[in-house]
Amino acid sequence: MTTKASASAGANPASNGAASADWSSFSPARMWRDWIVKSEAQWSETVSQLLKDERTGEALNRQISELQLMHRQFSEFAQASLAAANMPSRSDLEALDERMGRLEDGLAQVAAALTQLSQAVAALPLATGATGATGAGAVARKPSRTRRPASKA
Amino acid sequence: MSDTTPRGAAARSAVLSSLPNPVQRTLERMGLPAADFAHLTGALGATPKDTLYAQGTLKLHHFRPQCESVYRTPVLIVTSLVNQPYILDLVPGQSMVEYLLKQGFDVYMIEWGRPRQEHRHLTLEDHVLDRLPRCVEQVLQHSGERQLSIIGYCIGGLLSVLWAALEAGKRSGKTKGSAPQDSPLKNLVCMATPVNSEGLDSLRAWMGEDFDEEALLAEHGNVPAEWVQNALRALRPFGKVAGAMNLLNQADREEVVRSNLRMGKWETDNIPFPGGVFRQMVRDFLRGNRLMDGTWDIGGRRVDLSAIRAPFLHLLAQEDHITPYGSSRDLVKRVGSADRQELILKGGHVGLVAGRGAELRMWPALEAWLAPRSV
Repeated sequence: MTTKASASAGANPASNGAASADWSSFSPARMWRDWIVKSEAQWSETVSQLLKDERTGEALNRQISELQLMHRQFSEFAQASLAAANMPSRSDLEALDERMGRLEDGLAQVAAALTQLSQAVAALPLATGATGATGAGAVARKPSRTRRPASKA
Repeated sequence: MSDTTPRGAAARSAVLSSLPNPVQRTLERMGLPAADFAHLTGALGATPKDTLYAQGTLKLHHFRPQCESVYRTPVLIVTSLVNQPYILDLVPGQSMVEYLLKQGFDVYMIEWGRPRQEHRHLTLEDHVLDRLPRCVEQVLQHSGERQLSIIGYCIGGLLSVLWAALEAGKRSGKTKGSAPQDSPLKNLVCMATPVNSEGLDSLRAWMGEDFDEEALLAEHGNVPAEWVQNALRALRPFGKVAGAMNLLNQADREEVVRSNLRMGKWETDNIPFPGGVFRQMVRDFLRGNRLMDGTWDIGGRRVDLSAIRAPFLHLLAQEDHITPYGSSRDLVKRVGSADRQELILKGGHVGLVAGRGAELRMWPALEAWLAPRSV
């Protein structure tokens, strides 16, 4: 049920780079970088172990709550200052972004409807009958659904 | 490297915005003009496609077939809610979608889109019982087939599993080990899909009982993309440093630099987590581990993984720090399919689906499994 698969050729671009040793492989800067790459997994694992501790999670959450409070207070202050200076605030820009998003979604719906329509028209006998193909590559002819896997030699 | 013609300058400035800000800043700190590197990423997610269906932020794309004949069963790719779908279609030659098209599959893809304030109430029910089934319906209608294969990546895999279980559960005439004939699901492929939160100990420790998700959602509505990004980074805190060192070691290899810039852009291009889904994921999935306990109700219906009878493949990465093996290994054991397989491949969460490793290992393995089951 479970299979471990691997391929040796070009498995890791990093190791391939290291294999093609040239003069730069022996530079101290490169050796330092290689050391960091090799040690990264261990460092990340150490920090991950720390994160798995519930006390770290609690401390992290306290920090996040405080940061959120600070963020809210600063946002309110900035918003009031920007409004006084007759400048758009972040929330104004976000509102604009929301509006743009709604417009983009509306356009996508129109585009989808047009795609469906043009494909339906192209499928009509009149559309393909005269020329045997659709105009200007607008809609490609549907391929047959008869493909079979190549038999292994 | 630098093209100084006006045309070259215009092209560079046009694509400069596609570079992630951190990359631009790093290059500038190094005294290198970011504009000279901007053209290296190329246009991402550019495989020709048509949008067949759109509702709210949701879009269903159909990629234009690249073979004269395709396999009978269409393939629907269900992407993650928090990442941009173009990781599966980076550029020509580095695209899982393009690979599948060239192998003769008829490929569709769900793009969930970027939720706005008005979407903060979207829940798993909306995704699993409404949005996903609508896309399935559209694919079947467009292809003219009665069944399809689903490929779900990460949270997209979880959504696919929930839909498949509920869909199978509502069909009568359960035959042990085989899919009911009237089921729209022919094959189910999951990639790096978490099902057991006991394997996600870092996230569980952080988002335990002390974590106030309601305060976060009251403040932001949806979980901001930066939060998602930082949470994922915290799972491998020094990964970014090691990546930068690796890049410097191979800075003379243009293709490696290109690939790195593409991945960098994708990694910093997260999507906000819809508030309602986040609440359910924290309470029911992460803290409650209800999928494993068999007590997870979606829309008042119990999710029973053993109800899934379609041929099933789970593709996993050996060094996945986002979906560790402990969180994903139970899926293949819990589904009820007689034809089921788990394949563990070298690489990480992203390397499983994109990059040189995916091209060498995962895509061919996926094709070898899916092709004979798609006729």
